[in-house]
Amino acid sequence: MKLYNYELSGNCYKLRLLMSFLGVDYETEAIDFYPGQKHKSPDFRQINPLGQLPAIEDNGLVLRDAQAILVYIASKYDADGTWYPAQDPALLGQVMQWLAFADGITATASAARLHDGLYYSHIDVEAARKGAHTLFRILDEHLFFAEDAGQAWICPSDQPTIADIACFPYIMLSEEGGINRMDYPAIRRWCDRFKRIPGFIVMPGIFPAGPAFEKPAA
Amino acid sequence: MLHSLYQQWFPIASSTDLVPRHVYQAQLLGREFAVWRADDGYVNVWENRCLHRGVRLSIGINDGRELKCQYHGWRYTNRTAGCTYIPAHPADAPARTICNNTYPAQEAHGLIWAGEEANGPLPDLGAHANGIVLRPIPVHAPAEMVETTLQSYDQDILFFVQPCDSDHCIIRGIAKPNDDRTVLLRQHSFALGELRDQVEAHAALVEAPARYKPVIARVAEDFIDIPTLTKEGRTADLPVTITAKDIIAKGIARLRLEPLKCALPTFQPGAHVDVHLQNGLVRQYSLTNGPGETDHYTIGVKLEPDSRGGSSTIHALNLGDNLAISVPRNNFPLRRDAVETILIAGGIGMTPLLSMARALNVQGLPFAFHYFVQSDAHIAFRQEIGTFADAATIHKGLSPEDTSTKLSEILAEPGPARHVYICGPGPMLDTAREIAGRTGWSDTQIHFEYFKNNTQRNTSGSFKIELARSAMTLTVPEGTSILNVLHENGINMSSSCELGACGTCRCTVIAGEIDHQDVYLTDSEKAAGNAMMTCVSRARSDRLILDI
Amino acid sequence: MPCTDSVALNLWYPVTALEDITSKPLHTLLLEEPLIIRHDGTSQVHTRGRTLPVRESYGYLWTSLGTSQEDLFPIPEYTEDDRRNVHAATIGVQTSAPRSIENFLDMGHFPYVHTNILGAEPHTEVKEYTVEVSTECDEIRATNCLFWQPMAAAASSAGAEVNYIYRVPHPYCAVLYKSSPANPDRLDVIAIFLQPETQERVRAHMMLCLLDETTSNREIRLFQQTIFGQDKPILENQFPKRLPLDPRAETPIRADKSAIAYRRWLSEKGITYGVIPSAA
Repeated sequence: MKLYNYELSGNCYKLRLLMSFLGVDYETEAIDFYPGQKHKSPDFRQINPLGQLPAIEDNGLVLRDAQAILVYIASKYDADGTWYPAQDPALLGQVMQWLAFADGITATASAARLHDGLYYSHIDVEAARKGAHTLFRILDEHLFFAEDAGQAWICPSDQPTIADIACFPYIMLSEEGGINRMDYPAIRRWCDRFKRIPGFIVMPGIFPAGPAFEKPAA
Repeated sequence: MLHSLYQQWFPIASSTDLVPRHVYQAQLLGREFAVWRADDGYVNVWENRCLHRGVRLSIGINDGRELKCQYHGWRYTNRTAGCTYIPAHPADAPARTICNNTYPAQEAHGLIWAGEEANGPLPDLGAHANGIVLRPIPVHAPAEMVETTLQSYDQDILFFVQPCDSDHCIIRGIAKPNDDRTVLLRQHSFALGELRDQVEAHAALVEAPARYKPVIARVAEDFIDIPTLTKEGRTADLPVTITAKDIIAKGIARLRLEPLKCALPTFQPGAHVDVHLQNGLVRQYSLTNGPGETDHYTIGVKLEPDSRGGSSTIHALNLGDNLAISVPRNNFPLRRDAVETILIAGGIGMTPLLSMARALNVQGLPFAFHYFVQSDAHIAFRQEIGTFADAATIHKGLSPEDTSTKLSEILAEPGPARHVYICGPGPMLDTAREIAGRTGWSDTQIHFEYFKNNTQRNTSGSFKIELARSAMTLTVPEGTSILNVLHENGINMSSSCELGACGTCRCTVIAGEIDHQDVYLTDSEKAAGNAMMTCVSRARSDRLILDI
Repeated sequence: MPCTDSVALNLWYPVTALEDITSKPLHTLLLEEPLIIRHDGTSQVHTRGRTLPVRESYGYLWTSLGTSQEDLFPIPEYTEDDRRNVHAATIGVQTSAPRSIENFLDMGHFPYVHTNILGAEPHTEVKEYTVEVSTECDEIRATNCLFWQPMAAAASSAGAEVNYIYRVPHPYCAVLYKSSPANPDRLDVIAIFLQPETQERVRAHMMLCLLDETTSNREIRLFQQTIFGQDKPILENQFPKRLPLDPRAETPIRADKSAIAYRRWLSEKGITYGVIPSAA
């Protein structure tokens, strides 16, 4: 599999995360997203006419859109079927619901980050920040009650799903867009749990977590 | 107004916010806190700022015992917030003055309470005591505005509003105990969220008040008061009480010492304390504690057959007896940049190495712990050794020849990034030193602790200092800094980093040739030769005349 | 609040990479002043009806709000024939320019922030190095800076000590020289030029002059952006954002020798923009 990649892109990072969690081998082709704008080049638009990262090529299949690729990789390479629980309709519905929510995070938190860091000056940054806070309030409340019910992840499964992956990067990178997470303690705890999933990797802007607490043997 | 708020207790987190190995970010009256629970349950409320370069500690790592800053890996210990390790200078023990700002904190009623200078009792919760802590609701509006609005909240909830900043607060409520906890939590989370939206809409129409401006404290000028002098010229300013005593091996007593007042100062692996006994004797004992174990010190004391009143006196002590001890000193600092660390312990010399092994083990650094003992009955601290059993090898009942052979095996392969720490009886240390020299270990890689206090630092040579204004002449012996000599003689000299970096202990030199070892003064200032840093710099001439 | 620091006002500042200039006007901010950069054959910079002086150096357009600019500091390597000059990126950061310079001068964070690239535990020691303020050209120089790096030479898997030299020739610009993997006798050059938009927000322009002939511009850019992307969350989480010049405001150690010299140099220059001056 080949991933068209930009190291500082949270959307590309979603795919690097899942492939690391699943132990899938892949190669990358680095795209000079900034300042080169090579994702808008004619060459790249033949791979993705939308001119957006990421995209993959796998055995002749060309696929774009981070969430779509998450669904594809999890369906194809996760033998246990936990990342994309296709066999459980109620759970699957919730995964899809939070994937759509993750698109909202990208449209707000990621937009604010592009504005502040890479000078995407056409973005209304105040509106983007406000939109991100609205979503974070909803997710924080959701995660508070999930924790209260003994659940660690966004969807009610014992295992994390691609919904967690889809939401994680632009939440962790939100401060680069001037979106503070102090008001979201349940999100901050979920971020720590996410970083402790075996196979977790970092990207620039995101630090690893320390070792998890293990109850000492009695 | 602000001053009276500083004296108050405010809830700044729910107990359930402080899950293990997490750092919670809080704010009160403009000051940010990094709040973390250690594995022993203790709740630390610190300023959210590493002392070194101001980086938020809430992005750091809680390893259960220490908080590690994300920028340079500085480690700050549970409770005292003292810095235990600076990776950029692995051979140095950090100065005790490097200590984070901590704030009063208590855990009660499912909430963490703190305050800038909080004192007095916590508010009485009446019928709401031990109730249900609601989901906290942050609001972007002044606390007073939120408090006013909450008066019309028509439910029996006891509210506290945490003023994060002048335009930002958190609603924290407690409901009376109720069977339908989850329903109640959901109901209030929703209703208070609606209330929040209303207050925020209102707050957006009025001019926001000016933000609070918390004062950033300057780094401690002198963390410790001028030491009081004892007969032996050593300080004994920490009264402690014995809260546990047991015989853990043949002739070896383990004592747990807890402070009678205040908290115990920060220690580092390898550190020892002076124990002042009732009969006037002073003895040094290494601390055996693991990282983050900061509510007590544990020492191991071997009853010496020819005791002149030291170890026999300690063995005769009982629970509840009080002692005076010095602050910990570290002449045997542990580097943590080794590819492998080899700890070699003989008999009761295992105590400083035990503390080192526990620190390395918790940090996941590779090490081997070799413990030479006379017999099975002589093995001390078995339980503690059990926590790193894979790294421990116990050598029992070896003859001097067999010990020498075993040491040769252990020391067979010098490596550039391997470090060896040895503590034990004199003959064993001499043997080890001889083998290490023969095998090609460099002096910088092999560290000995002879249980003496006059070692360490490249501080050779003794010289005199003449204090012009104080009309005193003092001798600075090898291994002691001018600063220490001044302090020991009751001369007040401010200091901070004690590494020759901050410039606090600068002193004017009237005459004499200075051996500059600091990094604060510029080359031209050094060349001018009329100022020095008394914490690290020394004399090239026999005598310095200082303007003190 | 407009900038009143006369020292800062008289300095030259980069405002855009030359390769980013098009016929479309560019809007940017310098010391709180809104600038418009126009190009028709030549580049002009305007603010509030004033036309500002411009110069093109090191791949960037530079301007100044003051009147008595001196010449811009030299980077002689920039014009060497066999070097490749690469503009790596212009990135916005929520921090002051001096905080950003100090981070650029700092080696101790390599194992923690640039893990497995510029450093790796347990090789954390910052060895003694030399710092001096060069009298002939008024700049700070740190030399003989050695640090163990895991990816020092492309062919080596064991890692090696790399030699760095740092220069601070301008309060908000720094240049580092580092052993070149392509040519062991010469040094690669990496520069950071900061454009303070406000006291607590900068545009960081990053430029490299490399001897490397095999690595593509794209790879060089991405590598440099990865490094800077790792520094960014640290810089944005420093408090206060402005650099405190009081020696007791923070806790320096020997490894911070160059930062100590930098803070003193800023104090002596009388710089007040982007810093918290030491109480007299």
